[in-house]
Amino acid sequence: MSKLLHFKGASDMPMISISLGNMDWNKTGAWRAQRPFYEDKTPPCRAACPAGNDIVAFIQKITQGDFEGAWNVIKEENPFPGICGRVCFHPCESKCNRGDYDEPIAIHALERFVSDFASKLNKRVEKVPGVRKEKVAIIGSGPAGMSCAYHLAKLYYDVTVFESLSLSGGMLRSGIPSYRLPKDVLDREISNIEALGVELRTGIALGENLAWDDLKDYQATFIATGAHQGRSLQIPGEKAKSVLSGLDLLRRINRNQKVKLGDKIAIIGGGNTAIDVARSVIRLGKKATILYRRSREEMPAFEDEMVEAIEEGVKIRYLTNPIRIQQKDGLKRLECLRIELGDKDESGRRRPVPISHSNFFIEADSVIIAAGEEIEVSFLPKGIEKREGIILTQRDGSTGIKGIFAGGDLTSNQRTVAHAIGSGKKVALAIHGYFNGKNTEEVIRQTLIGEGPSISIFRHLHPEDRPMDSHVVTFGELNTDYFEPSKRHQESKCPVKQRTKGFGEVTVTFPESIAVEEAERCFSCGTCNGCENCYVFCPDASILKTEDILSHQVDYDFCKGCGICFSECPRGAISLKEETR
Amino acid sequence: MKKIEIPSAENLGHGHLACAGCGAAVSMRLSLKALGEKTVMVFPASCWSIVPGFWPYSSFRIPVIHAGFVTGGATASGVRAALDIRGDRESVVAVWAGDGGTFDIGLQALSGAAERNEDFIYICNDNEGYMNTGTQQSSATPMFAWTTTTPVMQPKENPKKDIMAIMADHHIPYAATATIAYPEDLLRKIGKAKRIRGTRFIHLLSPCPPGWRVPSELTIRISRLAVRSRIFPLYEIENGITYTLQEESHVVPVKEYLKLQGRFSHLAEPEVEVIQKNAEKVWERLRRKAES
Amino acid sequence: MKKVITGNQAVAYGVILSRVEVISAYPITPQTTIVEELSELIASGRLNTRFLKVESEHSAMAALIGASTGGVRCFTATSSHGLAYMHEMLHWASGARLPIVLVNVNRAIAPPWNIWSDQSDSLSQRDTGWVQLYCENNQEVLDTILQAYRIAELTKLPVMVVLDAYVLSHTSEAVEIPTMEEVDPFLPPYCPEYPLDTHEPMAFSVIATPEYFLEFRYKIQKAMEQVPEIANKVDDEFRSRFGRSYAAIERYGKEEAEILLMTSGTVTSTSRMVIQKLIEKGTSVAGIKIKRFRPFPSEEICKEIKGAKKIAVIDRNLSAGVGGIFAQELKASLYSKEERPQIFGFISGLGGRDITPGLIEEAIEYTVEHPRPEEKILWLGLKK
Repeated sequence: MSKLLHFKGASDMPMISISLGNMDWNKTGAWRAQRPFYEDKTPPCRAACPAGNDIVAFIQKITQGDFEGAWNVIKEENPFPGICGRVCFHPCESKCNRGDYDEPIAIHALERFVSDFASKLNKRVEKVPGVRKEKVAIIGSGPAGMSCAYHLAKLYYDVTVFESLSLSGGMLRSGIPSYRLPKDVLDREISNIEALGVELRTGIALGENLAWDDLKDYQATFIATGAHQGRSLQIPGEKAKSVLSGLDLLRRINRNQKVKLGDKIAIIGGGNTAIDVARSVIRLGKKATILYRRSREEMPAFEDEMVEAIEEGVKIRYLTNPIRIQQKDGLKRLECLRIELGDKDESGRRRPVPISHSNFFIEADSVIIAAGEEIEVSFLPKGIEKREGIILTQRDGSTGIKGIFAGGDLTSNQRTVAHAIGSGKKVALAIHGYFNGKNTEEVIRQTLIGEGPSISIFRHLHPEDRPMDSHVVTFGELNTDYFEPSKRHQESKCPVKQRTKGFGEVTVTFPESIAVEEAERCFSCGTCNGCENCYVFCPDASILKTEDILSHQVDYDFCKGCGICFSECPRGAISLKEETR
Repeated sequence: MKKIEIPSAENLGHGHLACAGCGAAVSMRLSLKALGEKTVMVFPASCWSIVPGFWPYSSFRIPVIHAGFVTGGATASGVRAALDIRGDRESVVAVWAGDGGTFDIGLQALSGAAERNEDFIYICNDNEGYMNTGTQQSSATPMFAWTTTTPVMQPKENPKKDIMAIMADHHIPYAATATIAYPEDLLRKIGKAKRIRGTRFIHLLSPCPPGWRVPSELTIRISRLAVRSRIFPLYEIENGITYTLQEESHVVPVKEYLKLQGRFSHLAEPEVEVIQKNAEKVWERLRRKAES
Repeated sequence: MKKVITGNQAVAYGVILSRVEVISAYPITPQTTIVEELSELIASGRLNTRFLKVESEHSAMAALIGASTGGVRCFTATSSHGLAYMHEMLHWASGARLPIVLVNVNRAIAPPWNIWSDQSDSLSQRDTGWVQLYCENNQEVLDTILQAYRIAELTKLPVMVVLDAYVLSHTSEAVEIPTMEEVDPFLPPYCPEYPLDTHEPMAFSVIATPEYFLEFRYKIQKAMEQVPEIANKVDDEFRSRFGRSYAAIERYGKEEAEILLMTSGTVTSTSRMVIQKLIEKGTSVAGIKIKRFRPFPSEEICKEIKGAKKIAVIDRNLSAGVGGIFAQELKASLYSKEERPQIFGFISGLGGRDITPGLIEEAIEYTVEHPRPEEKILWLGLKK
């Protein structure tokens, strides 16, 4: 009954002013001065994730009870949810908008929950058959190399990964202890990648039993050899045989090889390696003290790690700088200076300034140096430059040599698993673009999440699905009237005594009900989650529901542009702009 | 996060003439979803004389009877009597009146009907003024508010009439306050009212963007702040004696509510203080009634 | 069955016999015994009628508007201030084309406070679009109510039945009261034009713009124009069933007369007596009883003038600034006619002052003696 009614006059009018039609013909959309529209924006967690995980999407799936769906979402971008869910430093949680309300979402724990759920179901990524002609060689089976292999294999390229050690995984296997990353989780996630048809050849080292020439059959090469050399302190006594490298020690512990250590262990350094070493030797029944030259605030190791280390009895002495290592009858003596902090240096941290004449001595049975990692470049071809500790590349990972790309710890000072995974994915996309004659810079730019640097390969493969504006949603743009404060769930931890008995996992995966509860705390910033406030509050019934609950449409025929939907969207997934005609 | 569940039937329709962001349109749309299709609605003169459209059209999808300004309670009494005589005990008779048609000119008819315990649901759509005629003051206009007949130099002196107390003293079976920012609460109260016989009264606060001088997108937020600031507490009164006061977990000072509205932009600190104290007094009184 | 009953009781019987379904009324002297009588009759279970004891006359009419829209037969009674209070709703009832019947007991409007017979209350409402029927005796009162529902439901116009305060309302007369079985075939159940139905929802009394309003008013006027024909048919049927008949006007007295006396209500019965006496004394006079005031029976009156040169009108009402209202309406009806007798407008009986045979005689004698009225308004019995 939406047509206009016409009357000749009294002869065909009813006796009284009784309604004979409805107002559907009156397109009140013509009143609009501003126009609302659905526009998903970038959630801050996703913008912060170096691996480019679609965090909000996988959390939404958890709230729907579709844990397998959550796993599929993660796997679109990241082959290693089980690994990240255990070892990632979760910058997503630091940026989580809920942190400005009460406590951030336990994203890290939720990622782990999803992966562990999938492992129980024995899930593997399905690969639809297809094949391309190009072959790619990847040097290094760490997180960067394997992430690149994963994405290239999903794009049907023929990938071979060359790993110099006898086991795959890079730093994941040799650097990170089992109590943080159990080997079976690592093996499972790597074998998932192999199941896509990636050939993994271990014990093959470039520059030793593999020459550059051998790689000419490959149309592109990705060098992801990482950083495995311990940095030197440049202090006297450092080179003594009994002064150990932290990385070496961890490698041996991770291979279950025996290590000879004294009782009191001094560890020099402040990063995750130092903490890993300290916590590992505690588990071997030793006492561990970390010496770090700045204060706790500047310590680069992950906060969670530090907290657990201290719980386990690791001592940390801050503002302590060893300047000499002496030995006498097996006992080590470290001469140290006290430090005070000066102005900030180029890393943004306050400069350590030694206090003269503050020399003091610390004694230890073993000294381990874990003061950072450096890259190895001897096997690299000419034309690839090292500058200030990294290999320089373009944003797309390409080096000075055509067809040769580099990434991961080799090319960056942000040395985390998540960054490496993101780097490998980005290079995979760059190689894909390179093979197809595309402008790879442009390809990458179009897949940036927010302002970057992480990318979403899903956006390249499905540009029409789940469009997302690059604006990163701030807390102020949310309507928190629809949220109630609630405590963040924490993964339960084993009691300290039990933890330090061996190398078993310290934390326990969320049970299902807790995971769902925690997932429901997610604000879903910038991303419609089907709450339907827009539909409920529209005065003109101009929000149309569609079959898919996450997809609503504004009925522009009738929308008057009041902006209530924009205002009442808790998550800023609706935008308002001036109506232009 | 929980989804707000509401029935899907659209008995108000679209293409209607309410202002963009009209609180009453949200109120009507939600209330009609709760009342359902077997409803006859009487509406005395108010914005709704215009909003559904001009003859020969009406955007309503239920039968409605436009009645004289004074007559909400009386006309509905007649409609109910007719339906009863015809043997229809199932259709709900509802009245939709503005604050003018309830607190002022319609008070007599409402009081008469309430005393007779007439069997209808009376919804007072309170936008705190005579908005259809251009924002003149009513006895529902809050103290100190600007309206065209209470200009800034001489804002409204007297507090808002306590219509709920008036209705309670008629000992009607059910009276409740509600507002659009709490749709499930509104739906629950109308649903509860539907299951009771006799005079049921809902005092529904509906912000009016042009009348309150508020941007149209803040209609729902203002409604929520009215409750959170305790200026408009949500509560129910059964049989005139049993009070159920709904606690609000996010209490805010009245300033948060007042500062968003142009009709209060002339307020000075002392006046805000008065409003704050009055709100607290009213809350205290309700709390004591709820406890006894 | 013949009973000796007051005018108010006759009203009550008329309402019950009409199977009225919803009554809504507020007490006001001298209507009160109507509602009291009805309450008792309903309480005794004689009828399935709802009686809404509303808190004011305005609400009484509003409630009936609601009930009539709801599709049931409705009734109210009032007087004087009550009718005035209902004024807004009287307009509404006719605009909404609802066949409501209202009994008004003619009483003066204050101040000064006065509870006695005066037509100013009902006549003040002459512009509200209601058919107005005036009664001379209690039998006519009962019979008019039955006819009123027929007329109302056929024309879709509300009908006001008027009787004098005290002279009829509280005075007993013999009345033949028909049985329900006799009335039912005359007055079939009410069937509304636009049913109130949740299955076929419609909006009633929607706002109409200048584009259409004129045509709605035109339709009301057209309905009014059909009242004479319809009322005649109804009266014909009434006569055949009940043996009694009430035309819009009734001429009595000399077949051809120089002077006509126009009256309404109970004044007519006194006039019949006076005119008879004057005819015997040789005066050339006839009487015209006006039963139907609205629509004003212009055509019928013109047919009955039959050469009379003067018409004396006794108005028991005053429209201050104009004079008697019946006189005014008569003058308006005759304006376009060939035959335009002189109109002598007399006003008497306001506020219940007795209109005695002496006063009526005085009016007729004045009319005889003067070629034209010397004043625009002739006040009968005025104490200067």
